[in-house]
Amino acid sequence: MSKIQALGLDVGSTTVKMVGLDAEGEMAWHFLEQAEPLLENQIARFLERARNVTGPLDGIPLVATGYGRGLVNQATRTVTEITCHARGIYRELGHGGTLVDIGGQDSKVIGISPQGKVIDFTMNDKCAAGTGRFLENTASRLKVSLDRMGPEALSVSDEVSISSTCTVFAESEVISLIAHGVSIASILRGLHRSLVKRMVSMILTVGLTPPLMLSGGVAQNPAIRQMLEEETGQKIILPHYPQLMGACGAALFALDA
Amino acid sequence: MSIGPALRYHWNVNLLGRAGLRWVRWQAERRVKRGAHGKSHILTPPLKISARTKELIGRHYLKGRYANLRGKVAWVTSGAPIEFLKALDFYLLYPENHGAVCGTTRTAVDICAQAENAGYSRDICSYARTDLGTMLSCQTPVGKLPKPDLLLTCTNICQTVLHWYRVLAHHFDVPLILIDTPFVYTETTDHSVAYVKRQLEEAIPIAEEVAGQSLDERKLKEVTRLSKLASELWLELLGRCRHRPAPISVFDQFIQMAPIVEMRGDNFTVDFYAAMLKEVDERIAQVIGAVKNERKRLLWDNLPVWYRLRYLAEFLGRHGVVIAASTYTNAWAELTPKMDPERPLESMARTYMYPILNRGTGDKLATMRQMIDDYRLDGVILHSDRSCKPYSVGQMDQRDRLIRDFGVPALLLEADHNDSRSFSKEQVANRLDAFIEMLEV
Amino acid sequence: MTIPAIPRRIDVIRTFKEQGGYVAAVLPIHYPRSLLRAFNILPVEVWGPPGIKARDGAKHLQPYVCSIVHNALSFLQSGGLDITDILIVPHTCDSLQGLGSILLDFVSPKQPVIPIYLPRGKRESDVDFFANELRSIYRQLEAITGHSPTDADLLQSIYREEAADKLLSELHRCRRNLPFSNLAFYRLLRNREHLPAETFMELAQKALAQKVDTTQDGGIPILLSGIVPEPMSLLGAISQMGGVVAADDLACCGRRLYPPGQSDDPFRRIAERILYAPPDPTRGNSIKERLEHLLQLVETSGAKGVIFYEVKFCEPELFDLPQLRQGLQEAGLPSLTIEMDLNDPLSHQALTRLEAFLEMIQ
Repeated sequence: MSKIQALGLDVGSTTVKMVGLDAEGEMAWHFLEQAEPLLENQIARFLERARNVTGPLDGIPLVATGYGRGLVNQATRTVTEITCHARGIYRELGHGGTLVDIGGQDSKVIGISPQGKVIDFTMNDKCAAGTGRFLENTASRLKVSLDRMGPEALSVSDEVSISSTCTVFAESEVISLIAHGVSIASILRGLHRSLVKRMVSMILTVGLTPPLMLSGGVAQNPAIRQMLEEETGQKIILPHYPQLMGACGAALFALDA
Repeated sequence: MSIGPALRYHWNVNLLGRAGLRWVRWQAERRVKRGAHGKSHILTPPLKISARTKELIGRHYLKGRYANLRGKVAWVTSGAPIEFLKALDFYLLYPENHGAVCGTTRTAVDICAQAENAGYSRDICSYARTDLGTMLSCQTPVGKLPKPDLLLTCTNICQTVLHWYRVLAHHFDVPLILIDTPFVYTETTDHSVAYVKRQLEEAIPIAEEVAGQSLDERKLKEVTRLSKLASELWLELLGRCRHRPAPISVFDQFIQMAPIVEMRGDNFTVDFYAAMLKEVDERIAQVIGAVKNERKRLLWDNLPVWYRLRYLAEFLGRHGVVIAASTYTNAWAELTPKMDPERPLESMARTYMYPILNRGTGDKLATMRQMIDDYRLDGVILHSDRSCKPYSVGQMDQRDRLIRDFGVPALLLEADHNDSRSFSKEQVANRLDAFIEMLEV
Repeated sequence: MTIPAIPRRIDVIRTFKEQGGYVAAVLPIHYPRSLLRAFNILPVEVWGPPGIKARDGAKHLQPYVCSIVHNALSFLQSGGLDITDILIVPHTCDSLQGLGSILLDFVSPKQPVIPIYLPRGKRESDVDFFANELRSIYRQLEAITGHSPTDADLLQSIYREEAADKLLSELHRCRRNLPFSNLAFYRLLRNREHLPAETFMELAQKALAQKVDTTQDGGIPILLSGIVPEPMSLLGAISQMGGVVAADDLACCGRRLYPPGQSDDPFRRIAERILYAPPDPTRGNSIKERLEHLLQLVETSGAKGVIFYEVKFCEPELFDLPQLRQGLQEAGLPSLTIEMDLNDPLSHQALTRLEAFLEMIQ
């Protein structure tokens, strides 16, 4: 393995990600875990792992991003996940466009210039309607595991319309649909559609400049990908590691130092 | 108007469109006669005249579709003093009514999304979002809306319309007339009336310039007279619901009110309500109620829930509950006595300052109280409308007083007049069930 | 360097009352200060206040009414305004209209409630109406206090407020040449909301004496727009992230730089001052006027971006945003919108947006 020259740590609300880059800015190492309540301990463990791979961390710059970035005392500097995602994806794909990142707690749409700069961005408002949490909550109601949700939704063609975008209202709507004997799969399809519509609305607020790129954990959900393509009429481009774009960007900033 | 556009207008509206609409009406009338609306055990079928209502509304939007070919167009608020514009031969478009059409046809949410995608917050009024959505995307269930040459906004219903029309003015780059009507906290002051009158006087030259003609005093008096006549008939019509059983419910009124809002000042509107009154009187003579088994009578406060009219009518009707009156439909009737065709401007200033939405919350309670007595009502549903703050703020105290001071059961129902995403069917059903149990039907 | 010592709000109120004056609690935004002072009434503004238990207001107001109105009512109900003698409720928006009305009709607080209708234009008819409205307020205050100030008394009071507003404008103009942080400067400005004009002027002069020739901060200059920047930690956060508020279009600050009046009639003069102030949607200014004003602020301050910091549910603000943002974008200025609730701490997400925005315009 080539020598790690810079580290990026993305402390998200559902997962924590770390990326190590070599001198050319290529990803040399990465690591991902579910986020734990005691983030400080988890961060220490991440750094320990990095040390096992790279040897002593002294002198290797570390940039932290994500909602827990302020907790990383070891960081040389912190940069927001907006800027990091744009940087990470631009490095990998080499072009601008519109990046959609659906995270557990926050979703964002970022307009990226042909030179890789953030031109505009938006985030979901306070409620969980436009986030991964919206699916998670209802998934647990329906007793479907997260990774099965997308395929289940795509397994049927009929789709119920979920009118509520509010998570609380949607939950009561789902309960009543179950009571009326609607199949779980078509409810799931409806839920995905609702989330995607919400995302499309955010995309249009920023303005859709093709190509459309997708990152974040939800990018692994095939139903989201398919419906996002249907609703926008745009082919979606996925980076190799959708979940690592923030950490990559952070590491690239570290490499600048 | 040059010949080409005039011919196109005539061809599309008077020849093709009118015939088409007449055909649709004829079919609708046959359906009513055949009893195609189903033999409901709950609700009496709609009035026969409903077919004509549809035709009138259809014709209004058909004319609108080609109105830019024929002459000048003004977009106006539902409470605005429109008589002088009518006398100047403007085609009047009421974005709020258009919003209601989108609401009843369940197209409002998609159209709202167009506005939301452009950055308009979901916390602003859903009528405004519907209208701005149409403004931005031209999406509408009525075919096409004409572009305005003039905008008229009157703050007697809310401040929302001021902000909304500022957005329209910026987008269309046309003159905006503002009639600012100071809110009546307790009583009207002379300086407020003078202020409104002066604004009306100053509005006329602006409108004349856009219209390219001068206001004819006789025409203004005539329009005001027709406006008053239609309002008088509407007032009488609503009054008929004092009968037991109520011949029509507010759900009928919500649909039948379109002409009094967007076609006042026209003679056919007068004929229409005269005919409707006749049909309603026939119902009364035959003791036919809107709800077949009327047991309890309620008052509705605030705007309708446009996308759930039938659901609510049937839900309540199933329990023998009719909503016989509403402060909302009453708003286009209660001011009739204030109108004076001989003194159009003075009387307009007073009339238009005094709709229920421009009066204090205590005054609204008094109006409700009066209606409960007049119509012998057993309870009140207050629709807490997320989109309409001037109508909704005060309802919590009004409800409290109705229950505590007057012993009238009252329910606060959370919803939104045009945005079905703020309507939770399960919650509403639950609350209505509990309320009906409380009424001991 | 530090900000001059600021007397505490409660002490100001007590002192004023001990000297025989009255105190009026005033809700946002525009109202006739000089008229009140001519009656020996000290206006003390109530913008919420933030961070209180908003429980009492929830009995009267639906959850979709903004937190400023909720908090004001809760504060009143919990006794927070007991020390005041009069409540003034300007007709700023539909929600404040509703609050004024339920105070009069249902809540009936111990203090007399005086609503003020604010016309939504600046035509001759608006000025005339507003002057008459102020005359009617005069009669109400006369009935409450038993005083009948003469025209000369009124004019004297107006001139004093005009002098104070002149200093306030001066502070705004040279804000970047004063050695104060975003937060300290903002606190200084907002003393205008409860200090008597003469006390405020002393404070302002002391602050202006510290003016230096060079710009004091090297931060990224931004223009802050909105109603009120609460929680105030927002300003600290902006500093921390390397930003500096170079100009503001806040309803509580920059939109209240009232110009001097022209007329010799005191009522007309007050009306002119309020109606000719910088554009404000609650006074019905057009989007064009607002956009021009923002662009002018950007030009004079060198701001590199605009932050619209809005109170949730505030229709007057929300309606204008898309067209304002579009206009700014066409002029090459990025902007950001953040919505907040007066009772919530600044959310992590809001902070991230703010930081990302500063990273973007850097």
